[in-house]
Amino acid sequence: MSGPLFPRWTNTVSRLSAAALLAVPAIGIGGLMAYVRSPYVTNQQMPYEQPIEFDHRHHAGDEQIDCRYCHWTVEDSPSAGIPSTTVCMSCHAQVWNKSPYLVEVRKAFFADQPIPWVRVHNLPDFVYFNHAIHVNKGVGCATCHGRIDQMGAVEQHAPLTMAWCLDCHRNPEPNLRPAEFITSMTWVPPSDAAEAAALGKKLAEEYDVHSRTSCSTCHR
Amino acid sequence: MPPMNTKRDGAPSQDTSSFALPVVSDRPAASADAVGEALEHAAANASPTEPGYGRGYWRSLEEKLGTSEYLEETRPEFPAGADLPPSGVARREFMQLLGASMALAGATACSTRPSDERILPYTKTPPEVTPGNPLHYASGMTLAGHTSGLLITAREGRPIKIEGNPQHPVNQGAAGPWEQAFLLSLYDPNRARVLRQGKSPRALRVLAEDVSALVSKAAAADGGARLRFLGEPTNSPLMGDLRNRILKKLPNARFYSYTAMTQDAESEATRALFGGQAVSAVYDFSKADVVLSLDADFLESRPANLAYARQFADRRDPKNGPLNRLYVAEARYSVTGGMADHRLRVKSAEVLAVAAAVAQAIGGPAASLAGAASAKAQLRGDLNAWVQAVVADLRAANPGRTLVVAGERQPAAVHALAHAINAALGAAGSTVRYVQAPIAEPTGLSQVRALVEDIKAGRVDTLVITSWNPLYSLPGDTGLAELLDPAKNPNRTKMSVLYTGLYEDETSQFVDWFVPAAHPLETWSDGRAVDGTVAIAQPLIQPLFNGVPESELLAMFLDEPYRPAYQLLREYWQGQAAGTATTAGGASDFESRWEVWVSEGIVAGTASPAATATPDFGAASALVTGYTPPAAGELELNFVHDYKVFDGRFANNAWLQELPDLITKMVWDNAALVSPKTAQDKGLEPGSLAELSYGGQKLTVPVWVTPGLADDTVTVALGYGRSGLHESVAKGVGFNANVLRRAAAPWFDGGATLTKARGSHKFSLTQTHWRMEGRPVALDMPISELTRPSVETQHVLHRVQGELKPTIHDNLPDFDYSNGYKWGMAIDLSRCTGCSACVVACQAENNIPVVGKEQVARSREMQWLRIDRYFEGPESDPKMVMQPVMCVHCEKAPCEYVCPVNATVHSDEGLNDMVYNRCVGTRYCSNNCPYKVRRFNYLHYTADKTSTEKMLMNPDVTVRNRGVMEKCTYCVQRIERVRINARVEKRLIQEKELMTACQQTCPTQAIVFGSLNDKQQRVTQLHEDERAYKLLHELGTRPRTAHLIRVRNPNPALEPAKSAAATEGSH
Repeated sequence: MSGPLFPRWTNTVSRLSAAALLAVPAIGIGGLMAYVRSPYVTNQQMPYEQPIEFDHRHHAGDEQIDCRYCHWTVEDSPSAGIPSTTVCMSCHAQVWNKSPYLVEVRKAFFADQPIPWVRVHNLPDFVYFNHAIHVNKGVGCATCHGRIDQMGAVEQHAPLTMAWCLDCHRNPEPNLRPAEFITSMTWVPPSDAAEAAALGKKLAEEYDVHSRTSCSTCHR
Repeated sequence: MPPMNTKRDGAPSQDTSSFALPVVSDRPAASADAVGEALEHAAANASPTEPGYGRGYWRSLEEKLGTSEYLEETRPEFPAGADLPPSGVARREFMQLLGASMALAGATACSTRPSDERILPYTKTPPEVTPGNPLHYASGMTLAGHTSGLLITAREGRPIKIEGNPQHPVNQGAAGPWEQAFLLSLYDPNRARVLRQGKSPRALRVLAEDVSALVSKAAAADGGARLRFLGEPTNSPLMGDLRNRILKKLPNARFYSYTAMTQDAESEATRALFGGQAVSAVYDFSKADVVLSLDADFLESRPANLAYARQFADRRDPKNGPLNRLYVAEARYSVTGGMADHRLRVKSAEVLAVAAAVAQAIGGPAASLAGAASAKAQLRGDLNAWVQAVVADLRAANPGRTLVVAGERQPAAVHALAHAINAALGAAGSTVRYVQAPIAEPTGLSQVRALVEDIKAGRVDTLVITSWNPLYSLPGDTGLAELLDPAKNPNRTKMSVLYTGLYEDETSQFVDWFVPAAHPLETWSDGRAVDGTVAIAQPLIQPLFNGVPESELLAMFLDEPYRPAYQLLREYWQGQAAGTATTAGGASDFESRWEVWVSEGIVAGTASPAATATPDFGAASALVTGYTPPAAGELELNFVHDYKVFDGRFANNAWLQELPDLITKMVWDNAALVSPKTAQDKGLEPGSLAELSYGGQKLTVPVWVTPGLADDTVTVALGYGRSGLHESVAKGVGFNANVLRRAAAPWFDGGATLTKARGSHKFSLTQTHWRMEGRPVALDMPISELTRPSVETQHVLHRVQGELKPTIHDNLPDFDYSNGYKWGMAIDLSRCTGCSACVVACQAENNIPVVGKEQVARSREMQWLRIDRYFEGPESDPKMVMQPVMCVHCEKAPCEYVCPVNATVHSDEGLNDMVYNRCVGTRYCSNNCPYKVRRFNYLHYTADKTSTEKMLMNPDVTVRNRGVMEKCTYCVQRIERVRINARVEKRLIQEKELMTACQQTCPTQAIVFGSLNDKQQRVTQLHEDERAYKLLHELGTRPRTAHLIRVRNPNPALEPAKSAAATEGSH
């Protein structure tokens, strides 16, 4: 009658449950860490519906209007700025001035009411990002904002997490481009790695790039 | 390209200094108890004769006397209750404090998904605006007949910071606490919004029609004989012009000028001296080697104090040549008294005797006046030595290098004597200039008396009040309040009263028409400074609460078509320019001049011309002979304007209410101040309630004992006990001393009594928080000690400046700061008067909340910058040293290595960064900070802001949440903004373009900031000065802020050089 109290298969069960005991919290924590970095949480790949169906594909893509025509403060202000309605009307008083797409723009202009655009790139309030310094030091629009010229409705391209910021602040050279291509949507670094590295080094020197990693650089 | 910031910012690896972890280094390990050893070392190095704890410097009487209660109360590091959660009552009181000082909700809350946020761009961006970048506008603020030149920072149309206009001759970039805190009142939700007749709201048009009907009727009938105006003194050319034009239309109307800060006595004296001309004296302290102040608080009392303080401070720096010497005779302990080399405690009534004795001894034109004066007041025998020493010093100085100043609270007789002494010593033309007074008309209580007579005689149908709250600020026996109160004056209905003000206050409750005034930052105006220079004050924002500009209100009485304030002002100056234009050019010429005036904020060439007449001292003798000295009585009662709320007009300003009083360090209160001996005689203790009776009036007041006051005097500050209808911040704070005041003796009088009453009052003071035991903290010494240090001084200097021994004082690894910028600060105690402008500047710049009296009592005040006030010497007659202390940005910071979450770390330029979003609120850093400069948000002080209050916030600084530690950042937001501008332009940061908020506003330039790696910068030179020392040097924290020892210049005749001269602070 005697024999092992537990049948042999219980060994497998106990090994599996021991493994599960370790794996479940690990997967749980890992899952949470992956979750907060996921595009769902960082708000990437999520086009926003705007009060006006403004299409960057048309303006920045087809018409090749420079980013700075509308976002004109980007070179000397912390904020790139959302264009005022007069900027829209500077063209659309002449072209498409009867288009039903632009009813809201005309209404806003003549009523002197601001257009309530939905914020897409939303940093936490304790982060102070400055466009001027980045643009002046050779970081292009597309580096952070992606191919805006291919977005019907603008969505967030980069995760905008602190780790993502620091990646570049610790080693900015791969993300630099010549100033004349700063707003270019299509510029890519040379495909040859050595050539790209040499260009980055040269630009960093030319633009006097000294990215900082002290906390107060961004947090004040 | 020149090498810029050649050090790579923040090398990524092996850089433990920016993450101050427990030290792992290849050095010999520091001994287990390094701090203990350091303290032992310091103790061993200390001189045996060095005064111990409580014998050198002291901050309060309890500390000085070492009472057991005090020791018990302060034995723990924080006051009792500092770490308690809010109780129900406290919570409610806190909610009551929703004055204009608590902000933006939940700014730092973390959530995984951002909320739906909207961006509202301009419809049409104004051409000068670059969204995201600040703009600076020159403007001005008129306070009691004097206009300060201001430079105001606006962000997208919201004014967020007020600074002094660097081009203004009086301000020179500086601004006092009032000007800066004025911003808070702009956004104050308590401000009046409704124009009303009785209790019914009215449109401005209805009022205008009423006024128009009145004026046309009156002009035809009697020339406005039954119309009276009560206004602030007109230092504004525009308002003066409006007055004249109204008088042209209504020749029989009368304008009376009254403001609480009267220069009555001074102008009475100069009128007598100059044959009735309106003349004012302008002083030049930069030329004065010996200064005698007869109860004159010239370093703090308006209007010229900013310029005077700078001139005076420049003479307290040994590098600028020999020091000046300041003698002060006064009853209260004023800021100027704190800067004195020799201060004489006398009753205010005895100042006349001191002045007479000095004048008598000086002789010349002064002697004849002195003879008459000494008949009125005999000098006490024991004061003779002091007076003789002063006289000898005044005589010994070179002619024209002396200055005698009489205080605004003193009678005209004292002013006349001071002018006579100045004339006798040849000061006129050198240290004293007589110029035409910026305010030509007579002002003051005599004017109010005339108005009261008019009303009593039934000569007034319409009264227009534009003066600030006269029913509160006038002495109790003036009688105006009774005349305006329908319950007390049966004839009140025959008179119509119009009042304009920012708030519904004590005066507005009795008026028939109330017009909410436009805030000075909401309208165009102009005004003269004390030297006559006109500042054009431009608005920064449209009226938030439908306020009506005073100029537009007065212009209604012209019965002309409506014109906005801008047009009124422009047309006036156009007329002026046409009158003075010497060159052809006409309209286009005016246009360009106007542009310059507005952009610079001042109208060039408007400074007052010198007075043409010469003073006639014979004519002034009537002033002296006609003077009736106040009744000698038991106690002398002194009224003073408050350093914080002035005459009460800033009482609803929470920044100022929470600003510690400059001398007593009291917040949210006033008190009857008495000297320790008087308190003992009357059986009073600090916090006792007492009955103060004077002139038949009685008032129960809380008592506070202040060292250094003259014995047998009581000093009470005006401006408290406000009962305005909607001024919720001011309500219930302190007591109203105006009830006791009498028009006959508005500033001091004998015959008061003070008797102990039942009960006690709890004050909140900041000075006894944060005790720093027995360590040398604030240092001052006679200049002779600095040049020839005694052995004791050498000991002290060694202790605060000596070499630090490795492993004992110096047990953290070094970091190489030799490249790039190395931020540092220097604070010169010789220059610091303790005026607290820096505290308010910091509060405005850094979005610092106000917490309320009860929270301050628990040591939870939030001001990053505090000014410690130390007494030194006997408790009856101590000296004073002021010491501003904020985070000193230690290179080896004790706060950093105790933070479990790395929320406070070092930058590569030596800033001690505080990362709010990492902070979890353990408060370990504050415990470990030897300087006690960290502030913790115990509650969500910034919650529940109204929409206008949110507009006040500086968008460059995070609004902190509950549970977060904060402290001085060296204004890192300013550093970063300037850095980015410089880096965009590919150049280095210039010394001049970067100033911290406290440095920018400091009237005496006591605070200097810059990069210590640049040998040319002033901060580096001050760090290398022989007077420079580091706070708690022996701890080896290596502060980036150096303090400079305050030097005194005592008269050897009064204070023979002591053997143990250097007094070393223990705190």
